[in-house]
Amino acid sequence: MEPLSSYIILSSAMLGIGIYGLVSKRNAIRLLFSIELIVNAANINFVAFARYSNPPILSGWNIVFYSIAAAAMEATVGLALILVAFRLNGTIDIRKLNRLRG
Amino acid sequence: MPDMIFLALSAVVVASAVFALEAKELIYGTIGLGVSLVGVAGLFMLLGAEYLAMFQVAVYVGAVVVLILFTIMLVRRESGRIVDEEEPASFGSVGIYVAALVALAVAGAVILLAPVSPVAPEFYQVQLQDLGRSLAASYGVALVILGLVIGAAVVGGLTLVKIDREEKPSGTTE
Repeated sequence: MEPLSSYIILSSAMLGIGIYGLVSKRNAIRLLFSIELIVNAANINFVAFARYSNPPILSGWNIVFYSIAAAAMEATVGLALILVAFRLNGTIDIRKLNRLRG
Repeated sequence: MPDMIFLALSAVVVASAVFALEAKELIYGTIGLGVSLVGVAGLFMLLGAEYLAMFQVAVYVGAVVVLILFTIMLVRRESGRIVDEEEPASFGSVGIYVAALVALAVAGAVILLAPVSPVAPEFYQVQLQDLGRSLAASYGVALVILGLVIGAAVVGGLTLVKIDREEKPSGTTE
Protein backbone atom coordinates (compact mmCIF):
# COMPACT_ATOMS: atom_id res chain seq x y z
CA MET A 1 0.00 0.00 0.00
CA GLU A 2 1.48 3.30 -1.05
CA PRO A 3 1.73 6.18 1.44
CA LEU A 4 -0.89 8.87 1.78
CA SER A 5 1.39 11.48 0.18
CA SER A 6 1.18 9.79 -3.22
CA TYR A 7 -2.56 10.32 -3.26
CA ILE A 8 -2.07 13.95 -2.20
CA ILE A 9 0.40 14.49 -5.03
CA LEU A 10 -2.02 12.95 -7.52
CA SER A 11 -4.89 15.12 -6.37
CA SER A 12 -2.70 18.25 -6.47
CA ALA A 13 -1.80 17.36 -10.04
CA MET A 14 -5.48 17.09 -10.92
CA LEU A 15 -6.14 20.40 -9.18
CA GLY A 16 -3.34 21.96 -11.21
CA ILE A 17 -4.72 20.61 -14.48
CA GLY A 18 -8.16 21.94 -13.57
CA ILE A 19 -6.84 25.40 -12.74
CA TYR A 20 -4.84 25.44 -15.96
CA GLY A 21 -8.04 24.72 -17.88
CA LEU A 22 -9.97 27.39 -16.01
CA VAL A 23 -7.33 30.03 -16.69
CA SER A 24 -6.42 29.32 -20.28
CA LYS A 25 -9.39 27.75 -22.07
CA ARG A 26 -11.95 29.82 -23.90
CA ASN A 27 -14.68 27.28 -24.53
CA ALA A 28 -17.29 27.23 -21.76
CA ILE A 29 -17.72 23.43 -21.96
CA ARG A 30 -14.02 22.99 -21.29
CA LEU A 31 -14.41 25.15 -18.20
CA LEU A 32 -17.06 22.65 -17.09
CA PHE A 33 -14.50 19.86 -17.64
CA SER A 34 -12.02 21.75 -15.46
CA ILE A 35 -14.55 22.15 -12.64
CA GLU A 36 -15.29 18.41 -12.75
CA LEU A 37 -11.56 17.66 -12.54
CA ILE A 38 -11.15 19.92 -9.49
CA VAL A 39 -14.14 18.32 -7.75
CA ASN A 40 -12.65 14.89 -8.43
CA ALA A 41 -9.32 15.97 -6.96
CA ALA A 42 -11.15 16.92 -3.77
CA ASN A 43 -13.01 13.59 -3.78
CA ILE A 44 -9.76 11.63 -4.04
CA ASN A 45 -8.46 13.54 -1.03
CA PHE A 46 -11.59 12.81 0.99
CA VAL A 47 -11.51 9.08 0.29
CA ALA A 48 -7.76 8.81 0.86
CA PHE A 49 -7.82 10.65 4.19
CA ALA A 50 -10.81 8.62 5.34
CA ARG A 51 -9.00 5.39 4.44
CA TYR A 52 -5.70 6.34 6.08
CA SER A 53 -7.04 7.62 9.37
CA ASN A 54 -6.88 5.06 12.14
CA PRO A 55 -9.56 3.80 12.68
CA PRO A 56 -10.99 4.63 9.26
CA ILE A 57 -13.92 7.02 9.39
CA LEU A 58 -17.06 6.73 7.32
CA SER A 59 -17.75 10.47 7.05
CA GLY A 60 -15.27 10.79 4.20
CA TRP A 61 -17.24 8.29 2.15
CA ASN A 62 -20.48 10.08 2.98
CA ILE A 63 -19.16 13.47 1.92
CA VAL A 64 -17.93 12.07 -1.38
CA PHE A 65 -21.37 10.56 -1.90
CA TYR A 66 -22.94 14.00 -1.54
CA SER A 67 -20.18 15.64 -3.54
CA ILE A 68 -20.71 13.38 -6.56
CA ALA A 69 -24.44 14.08 -6.51
CA ALA A 70 -23.86 17.83 -6.22
CA ALA A 71 -21.34 17.77 -9.07
CA ALA A 72 -23.79 16.00 -11.35
CA MET A 73 -26.36 18.65 -10.49
CA GLU A 74 -23.87 21.42 -11.17
CA ALA A 75 -23.08 19.94 -14.59
CA THR A 76 -26.79 19.91 -15.43
CA VAL A 77 -27.31 23.56 -14.55
CA GLY A 78 -24.02 24.57 -16.14
CA LEU A 79 -24.93 22.94 -19.44
CA ALA A 80 -28.33 24.63 -19.37
CA LEU A 81 -26.65 28.00 -18.82
CA ILE A 82 -24.20 27.32 -21.65
CA LEU A 83 -27.10 26.46 -23.95
CA VAL A 84 -28.91 29.69 -23.08
CA ALA A 85 -25.74 31.71 -23.62
CA PHE A 86 -25.24 30.02 -26.98
CA ARG A 87 -28.79 30.82 -28.06
CA LEU A 88 -28.52 34.44 -26.98
CA ASN A 89 -25.04 35.21 -28.28
CA GLY A 90 -24.25 32.60 -30.91
CA THR A 91 -20.99 31.68 -29.20
CA ILE A 92 -19.77 30.06 -26.00
CA ASP A 93 -16.35 31.65 -26.18
CA ILE A 94 -16.14 33.20 -22.74
CA ARG A 95 -13.88 35.99 -23.94
CA LYS A 96 -16.74 37.19 -26.12
CA LEU A 97 -19.48 36.80 -23.51
CA ASN A 98 -18.61 40.13 -21.96
CA ARG A 99 -21.91 41.95 -22.23
CA LEU A 100 -22.11 42.26 -18.45
CA ARG A 101 -18.69 43.86 -18.19
CA GLY A 102 -18.90 47.19 -16.39
CA MET B 1 1.77 -5.20 -6.61
CA PRO B 2 -0.65 -2.38 -5.69
CA ASP B 3 2.09 0.15 -6.34
CA MET B 4 2.10 -0.67 -10.03
CA ILE B 5 -1.69 -0.50 -10.13
CA PHE B 6 -1.63 2.89 -8.43
CA LEU B 7 1.00 4.21 -10.80
CA ALA B 8 -0.87 2.96 -13.86
CA LEU B 9 -4.16 4.43 -12.65
CA SER B 10 -2.59 7.81 -11.87
CA ALA B 11 -0.94 7.90 -15.27
CA VAL B 12 -4.28 7.16 -16.93
CA VAL B 13 -6.08 9.78 -14.82
CA VAL B 14 -3.58 12.58 -15.43
CA ALA B 15 -2.97 11.83 -19.10
CA SER B 16 -6.63 11.65 -20.00
CA ALA B 17 -7.38 14.78 -17.96
CA VAL B 18 -4.77 16.66 -20.01
CA PHE B 19 -6.19 15.12 -23.18
CA ALA B 20 -9.70 16.24 -22.19
CA LEU B 21 -8.53 19.84 -22.08
CA GLU B 22 -6.20 19.74 -25.06
CA ALA B 23 -8.03 17.59 -27.62
CA LYS B 24 -8.87 19.39 -30.84
CA GLU B 25 -12.39 17.99 -31.06
CA LEU B 26 -14.64 18.64 -28.09
CA ILE B 27 -16.22 15.20 -28.50
CA TYR B 28 -12.88 13.45 -28.03
CA GLY B 29 -12.20 15.71 -25.07
CA THR B 30 -15.43 14.56 -23.46
CA ILE B 31 -14.44 10.94 -23.94
CA GLY B 32 -11.07 11.74 -22.37
CA LEU B 33 -12.88 13.22 -19.38
CA GLY B 34 -14.89 10.01 -19.09
CA VAL B 35 -11.71 7.89 -19.10
CA SER B 36 -10.21 10.13 -16.42
CA LEU B 37 -13.30 9.74 -14.23
CA VAL B 38 -13.21 5.96 -14.66
CA GLY B 39 -9.59 6.11 -13.50
CA VAL B 40 -10.68 8.01 -10.40
CA ALA B 41 -13.25 5.25 -9.78
CA GLY B 42 -10.40 2.76 -9.97
CA LEU B 43 -8.51 4.76 -7.34
CA PHE B 44 -11.60 4.64 -5.12
CA MET B 45 -11.62 0.87 -5.50
CA LEU B 46 -7.93 0.76 -4.61
CA LEU B 47 -8.81 2.68 -1.45
CA GLY B 48 -11.43 0.14 -0.48
CA ALA B 49 -14.51 2.16 -1.39
CA GLU B 50 -16.09 -0.14 -3.95
CA TYR B 51 -19.53 1.33 -3.49
CA LEU B 52 -18.26 4.85 -4.21
CA ALA B 53 -16.44 3.54 -7.27
CA MET B 54 -19.66 2.13 -8.67
CA PHE B 55 -21.48 5.33 -7.79
CA GLN B 56 -18.81 7.38 -9.52
CA VAL B 57 -19.01 5.30 -12.70
CA ALA B 58 -22.81 5.38 -12.72
CA VAL B 59 -23.23 9.08 -12.05
CA TYR B 60 -20.21 10.62 -13.75
CA VAL B 61 -19.66 8.38 -16.73
CA GLY B 62 -23.25 7.24 -17.06
CA ALA B 63 -24.94 10.59 -16.55
CA VAL B 64 -22.62 13.60 -16.70
CA VAL B 65 -20.37 12.60 -19.59
CA VAL B 66 -23.31 11.29 -21.62
CA LEU B 67 -25.20 14.52 -20.89
CA ILE B 68 -22.28 16.61 -22.15
CA LEU B 69 -21.95 14.39 -25.23
CA PHE B 70 -25.63 14.74 -26.01
CA THR B 71 -25.52 18.49 -25.53
CA ILE B 72 -22.56 18.88 -27.88
CA MET B 73 -24.00 16.62 -30.55
CA LEU B 74 -27.58 17.88 -30.42
CA VAL B 75 -26.87 21.59 -30.50
CA ARG B 76 -23.71 21.40 -32.56
CA ARG B 77 -25.17 23.15 -35.57
CA GLU B 78 -28.10 24.92 -34.03
CA SER B 79 -29.21 27.55 -36.51
CA GLY B 80 -26.16 27.12 -38.67
CA ARG B 81 -23.55 27.93 -36.07
CA ILE B 82 -21.13 25.50 -34.53
CA VAL B 83 -21.07 25.21 -30.78
CA ASP B 84 -17.59 23.81 -30.39
CA GLU B 85 -15.53 26.05 -32.58
CA GLU B 86 -12.76 27.69 -30.63
CA GLU B 87 -9.72 29.79 -31.18
CA PRO B 88 -6.31 29.01 -29.76
CA ALA B 89 -5.91 30.03 -26.16
CA SER B 90 -4.12 33.28 -25.55
CA PHE B 91 -3.35 32.76 -21.87
CA GLY B 92 -1.97 29.24 -22.21
CA SER B 93 1.47 29.86 -20.74
CA VAL B 94 0.09 31.92 -17.84
CA GLY B 95 -2.33 29.10 -17.07
CA ILE B 96 0.45 26.53 -17.00
CA TYR B 97 2.53 28.68 -14.62
CA VAL B 98 -0.38 29.34 -12.26
CA ALA B 99 -1.47 25.70 -12.23
CA ALA B 100 2.04 24.35 -11.66
CA LEU B 101 2.60 26.86 -8.86
CA VAL B 102 -0.62 25.92 -7.08
CA ALA B 103 -0.06 22.18 -7.47
CA LEU B 104 3.55 22.40 -6.27
CA ALA B 105 2.56 24.61 -3.33
CA VAL B 106 -0.20 22.26 -2.18
CA ALA B 107 1.81 19.07 -2.57
CA GLY B 108 4.97 20.58 -1.10
CA ALA B 109 3.18 22.07 1.89
CA VAL B 110 1.44 18.81 2.72
CA ILE B 111 4.59 16.73 2.36
CA LEU B 112 6.77 19.16 4.29
CA LEU B 113 4.27 19.47 7.11
CA ALA B 114 3.85 15.71 7.44
CA PRO B 115 7.24 14.10 6.86
CA VAL B 116 6.02 10.79 8.24
CA SER B 117 3.25 9.89 5.89
CA PRO B 118 0.67 7.70 7.64
CA VAL B 119 0.34 4.11 6.55
CA ALA B 120 -3.08 2.67 5.93
CA PRO B 121 -4.46 0.37 8.61
CA GLU B 122 -4.51 -3.18 7.36
CA PHE B 123 -7.43 -5.57 6.90
CA TYR B 124 -10.05 -2.92 6.65
CA GLN B 125 -13.26 -3.44 4.76
CA VAL B 126 -16.08 -0.93 4.71
CA GLN B 127 -19.30 -2.66 5.54
CA LEU B 128 -22.01 -1.45 3.22
CA GLN B 129 -24.48 -1.71 6.09
CA ASP B 130 -22.44 0.79 8.11
CA LEU B 131 -22.34 3.19 5.19
CA GLY B 132 -26.07 2.96 4.66
CA ARG B 133 -26.75 3.30 8.36
CA SER B 134 -24.65 6.45 8.71
CA LEU B 135 -26.11 7.83 5.48
CA ALA B 136 -29.67 7.35 6.69
CA ALA B 137 -29.22 7.99 10.40
CA SER B 138 -26.43 10.52 10.92
CA TYR B 139 -26.85 12.37 7.64
CA GLY B 140 -30.53 11.80 6.95
CA VAL B 141 -31.44 15.48 6.88
CA ALA B 142 -28.61 16.24 4.49
CA LEU B 143 -29.80 13.43 2.22
CA VAL B 144 -33.34 14.85 2.07
CA ILE B 145 -32.06 18.37 1.42
CA LEU B 146 -29.79 17.01 -1.30
CA GLY B 147 -32.78 15.41 -2.98
CA LEU B 148 -34.72 18.66 -2.83
CA VAL B 149 -31.79 20.64 -4.26
CA ILE B 150 -31.35 18.13 -7.08
CA GLY B 151 -35.04 18.44 -7.92
CA ALA B 152 -34.80 22.23 -7.92
CA ALA B 153 -31.70 22.09 -10.14
CA VAL B 154 -33.41 19.82 -12.67
CA VAL B 155 -36.49 22.04 -12.79
CA GLY B 156 -34.27 25.13 -13.13
CA GLY B 157 -32.29 23.57 -15.96
CA LEU B 158 -35.43 22.61 -17.83
CA THR B 159 -36.84 26.11 -17.36
CA LEU B 160 -33.65 27.66 -18.67
CA VAL B 161 -33.46 25.67 -21.89
CA LYS B 162 -37.18 25.66 -22.65
CA ILE B 163 -38.14 27.52 -25.83
CA ASP B 164 -41.39 29.41 -25.53
CA ARG B 165 -43.15 28.94 -28.85
CA GLU B 166 -46.06 31.09 -27.73
CA GLU B 167 -43.91 34.11 -27.05
CA LYS B 168 -42.81 34.40 -30.64
CA PRO B 169 -44.08 37.71 -32.01
CA SER B 170 -45.87 36.16 -34.98
CA GLY B 171 -48.89 38.44 -34.91
CA THR B 172 -47.15 41.60 -33.84
CA THR B 173 -46.18 44.51 -35.96
CA GLU B 174 -42.63 43.29 -36.48
